[in-house]
Amino acid sequence: MVKSSLISIQDLRITSQSAEKVLISNVNLEIGKGEIVGLIGESGSGKSLTARAVMRLLPPDMKVSGKIFYKGTDVLAVNPKEHRHLLGSGIGMIFQDYRGSFTPFIKIGNQMIETIRTHYKMTKNEAKSIALTVLEEMGLESKRVYDSYSFQLSGGQVQRAAIAMSLALKPDLIICDEMTTALDVMSGERVLDYIDQIRNKTGCSVLMITHDLALAYKRTDRMYVMNQGEIVEEGLPEQIRCHHKHPYTKKLCSCLLALPAKKSIQKKRAYSV
Amino acid sequence: MSLVIEGLSKQYTKSIQALKHISLTVSDGESIGIVGESGSGKSTLARILLGLEPYKEGSVTYKGKLIVPKNRSSLRAYRKSVQMIFQDSTSTLNPKLPIWKSLLEPLDNYKEFSPSFLEQGLTKLEKAEKLLEIVGLDKEMFSRYPVELSGGQKQRVSIARAISLEPSLLVCDEPTASLDMTIQVQILQLLKELQRKTNMTILFISHDIRAVAYLCERMIVLKEGLMVDEFKMADIYHSDRHPYTKALIKAASID
Repeated sequence: MVKSSLISIQDLRITSQSAEKVLISNVNLEIGKGEIVGLIGESGSGKSLTARAVMRLLPPDMKVSGKIFYKGTDVLAVNPKEHRHLLGSGIGMIFQDYRGSFTPFIKIGNQMIETIRTHYKMTKNEAKSIALTVLEEMGLESKRVYDSYSFQLSGGQVQRAAIAMSLALKPDLIICDEMTTALDVMSGERVLDYIDQIRNKTGCSVLMITHDLALAYKRTDRMYVMNQGEIVEEGLPEQIRCHHKHPYTKKLCSCLLALPAKKSIQKKRAYSV
Repeated sequence: MSLVIEGLSKQYTKSIQALKHISLTVSDGESIGIVGESGSGKSTLARILLGLEPYKEGSVTYKGKLIVPKNRSSLRAYRKSVQMIFQDSTSTLNPKLPIWKSLLEPLDNYKEFSPSFLEQGLTKLEKAEKLLEIVGLDKEMFSRYPVELSGGQKQRVSIARAISLEPSLLVCDEPTASLDMTIQVQILQLLKELQRKTNMTILFISHDIRAVAYLCERMIVLKEGLMVDEFKMADIYHSDRHPYTKALIKAASID
């Protein structure tokens, strides 16, 4: 089903040493090149832990076992320096809390230059022109955002600037962890539209972590459902919504609020007339 | 007509006008949704309705009485009949008080009032247990502290607290925004059921039109302080909808 695998997570298991508790187990997940994959579940289901394991952002008292192959290399087995080299520019991550993405006392532009120059050898001016281009690509007023501090921008703008920053490093995979949760509907939609746009343009893959089944259903190629640290179901959005097998997926789908259907309203009208 | 808003405008500073000439009538027992993106003036409207925010232009009357934030004695009577639920249930509850004490704060404040669902002569703990029961929480919860409760449970406690005074108007400001999908539906079901039982008016502020469509009969759309659209739920796909409403509907629809 997966054409050519970009990242493959095999039997991932995370245990907390202090609490002696298994946090997630038997997580198998695969993302192909150019694919957009949804990982859905409720709070505490282990979605974010899975993403953090890939980025090696877990706190030190958590023990990780299993394998995560990124372009054929097991990212859990390499040393930190190689890991930085491998992932630093290969995988970008965007978090829910957009206020934490940028330091408040350094201008966005300078932070972007710093990040770009950490991964690529180039002069400040070259980095600046890349930064301005990617900001422009995300539909932002590039000069204004470049010279702003993060608190001078709206949530949607900061979130787009964060995507721009990860884009500047030409990633193969962007992990979006509840990217639109803190934004209102319309700015969330716009951010998601830009994600679609850059995916078409650069051919990168996206892992969309969300609790919003409707969002995943509309925006992803394939999705995984996670509950209590395990992946309980996997399939095409259509399958998950209409032909689910697992009771938890069923429960989730039953909670999916929908707008009144167009047809039923028209019918009601016909009767009342 | 219980709540009548006429030509209400609110200016924060010279350049920031939060509300522009809002006129709205809400009848008793109605549930109405207020939708708009951040900065559209939803919360300002809610704060004015609760008498938390002064306003200069326009008028807000509830059951024939004008709501004036500076008049303390009439506000006290008014606030008994109007309660609010906030998005952030964590900061609604005092972390240092056990749940039962938080629950009984409104009743302690209005000692002269005894709600119809509580029999006379109950002890404080029995009252708290009864309130917990109404919102579907385990009785044993009364002795716990807010940190020991999940987000959904805390939101239930704040609902219990709000309805303990039997308000005739309940203002909900994004009560489900920070909750999981399954919990969100439970809270909406609870609100719907409570409304059916008590026939209170619900003003539901949200940017999630799907939640509004579930709970409310009517919906108004705010954009940059202006009321751009107002319609009954059945007319949601009508061609007269404002382009902005259409965009919101498109974003929220699943198929």
